Amino acid sequence: MTENNSPVILDTLPRHEALGLSTDQVLAALRGMMLARAVDDRLWLLARQGKAHFVITPAGHEAAQFGCAWAIRAGHDYVVPYYRDMALAMALGQTPLDMLRHAMGKPGDPASGGRQMFGHFSSRALRIVSGSSSVGSHPVHAVGLALAFRAKGETDIAAITFFGEGATAEGAWHEAINFAGIHQLPVVFVCENNQYAISMHQRKEVPVPDVATKAAGYGMPGLIVDGNDIFAVYEAAQAAMIRARSGDGPTLLECKTYRYRPHSNADNDMKYRTAEEVAEWRERDPIKRLERYCLDQQLTTSEQIALDETAIRSEVDQATVAAEQTPNPLSDSLFDHLYGEA
Amino acid sequence: MAHMTYIEAIRSAMLDAMTEDESVIVLGEDVALKGGVFLATEGLLERFGERRVIDTPIAEISVVGLAIGASLHGLKPVAEIQFADYILPAIDQILNEAALFRYRSNGDWHCPIVVRAPFGAGIHGGLYHSQSSEALFTSTPGLKVVIPSTPHDAKGLLIAAIRDPDPVIFFEHKQLYRTVRGEVPDGTYTVPIGKAAIARSGTDLSLFTYGLMTHYSLSAAEQIAQEGINVEVIDLRTLYPLDKAAILESVRRTGKALIVHEDNLTGGIGGEIGALIAEHAFEYLDGPVRRLASPDVPPVAFNDDLEMGYMLNPAKIMAAIRDLAAY
Repeated sequence: MTENNSPVILDTLPRHEALGLSTDQVLAALRGMMLARAVDDRLWLLARQGKAHFVITPAGHEAAQFGCAWAIRAGHDYVVPYYRDMALAMALGQTPLDMLRHAMGKPGDPASGGRQMFGHFSSRALRIVSGSSSVGSHPVHAVGLALAFRAKGETDIAAITFFGEGATAEGAWHEAINFAGIHQLPVVFVCENNQYAISMHQRKEVPVPDVATKAAGYGMPGLIVDGNDIFAVYEAAQAAMIRARSGDGPTLLECKTYRYRPHSNADNDMKYRTAEEVAEWRERDPIKRLERYCLDQQLTTSEQIALDETAIRSEVDQATVAAEQTPNPLSDSLFDHLYGEA
Repeated sequence: MAHMTYIEAIRSAMLDAMTEDESVIVLGEDVALKGGVFLATEGLLERFGERRVIDTPIAEISVVGLAIGASLHGLKPVAEIQFADYILPAIDQILNEAALFRYRSNGDWHCPIVVRAPFGAGIHGGLYHSQSSEALFTSTPGLKVVIPSTPHDAKGLLIAAIRDPDPVIFFEHKQLYRTVRGEVPDGTYTVPIGKAAIARSGTDLSLFTYGLMTHYSLSAAEQIAQEGINVEVIDLRTLYPLDKAAILESVRRTGKALIVHEDNLTGGIGGEIGALIAEHAFEYLDGPVRRLASPDVPPVAFNDDLEMGYMLNPAKIMAAIRDLAAY
């Protein structure tokens, strides 16, 4: 194994080719991660300006989320995300405008029509399942979906759910993964382990160093990958999704990563971690790492990346204006969608 | 048409609904091989197989959470909680998840699940097999709460709940399971959710009730008719959303309202009905709105005498009727 926990490739193929990924896919992921980071930065700016009431963002988690997204067939497999998964939602097809409308609570917010705080990503068309803010309450929905695939006799489909390491302390998380293990259901559990549940370090939430070791007690394999290495994440996620879709059972995949921002705009992270620690992880930025790979492999050039950065800034600017100009919901929509037609 | 018990009607509803629609599944603790602790699901495993009749661990968060997840992919799950007393671990899934899926996604998702739970006292069940848990759910927009009192309504309302596009909490009074019989149509039919029924027409006083108390109230009303007091008994059948029109129509005719429920007095649905009448039918009243409910102590002591002291009965209801009628 390399320092990145990824297998040593014995032949001379570049890593992405060895994994069956095309140059276009890799460059699209790089651009997508840069775009997600740019939206992330914009959201914090909007929060400071009072234009977004609440932001909670994935900066630092982009490789974990884009790596998993490569293994998901958007609109086919079900995705049950958590609040840190904006980059995942964008990798699956949601746009900067979707995210900005969601953050500003505007009509056209595909997640909730302005009803939920930012971070509750949802799209039935993309099979991204709506969630609440109750931590750890959602993986059981992924397991229920997997149960439905089995009840309907559907194969070649899987559910994948995402959560932080803090959520693994919740009883609902245990009940979800317990049932998935008992019935060996087609579901993949992805822990984006950034070491902190708001202020609380992993050692106060999880009794073992690696969340993935819990898998043994639930009758499934547990994989650990460097969550800042998009290829390592993809390799593990792809194996887990194929295993699930083939009817071979669930997997717990732990992506070790770090969040660069405070938990949310209502948090001061300097109360529980140091600037030095954040800076140290900034050195391992997953986007810079992929960028370096692309340059080393001559998939792109510095000039092209600079052009992309300019285009991304313009795209985010335009989306911000469009979101700000979207009229607010009429108050009479308050009563819409309480019940369906019986 | 068949003559059957309340629990046979419940079982018949699931059997017919599952026969008619293969997206209906049943899950819960002991529901498959054993057929449920009360045998409500007996025979379903043999008929429909283990893909549709699913034994779950004794883990209520997952019983409801799995049902929610399965409903998102087009299934219509019927989850059984063995006793209403144990619905509490699942309350986050019911109130924060199932009830809000449609609203929080602006109508993109919805969650058509039924959660069945036996409730109520009078079977020597002690503190944890006797509770009335309905008040925990009757203030949550997005949910529906149904409590049938007759075999006919039990089957028709359960089929309506299964077909309903939103989550329905379906409480079955466990003392009714084998003590009440009635005519039940063959095949599927529905009784509308959200509609109360006039169980007995009357002119002097409106009595609003549900569940086992419907039967006690009808017994009380029949006996007290010999004293010249003509009581109208309204079986609410759905506690949320309440059939406000039926409640107000009845009380405007009779001028007096008595609400009878087995649930504790404080926080029970009686307070909501009383407030509704006070706000919208005050000028029709010729007496105070009265509530007769179980006292504000935990339900319900194991000892026979203590249990009888807690439980309402026809004699207690007759006394309350007499008192209000004489006002």
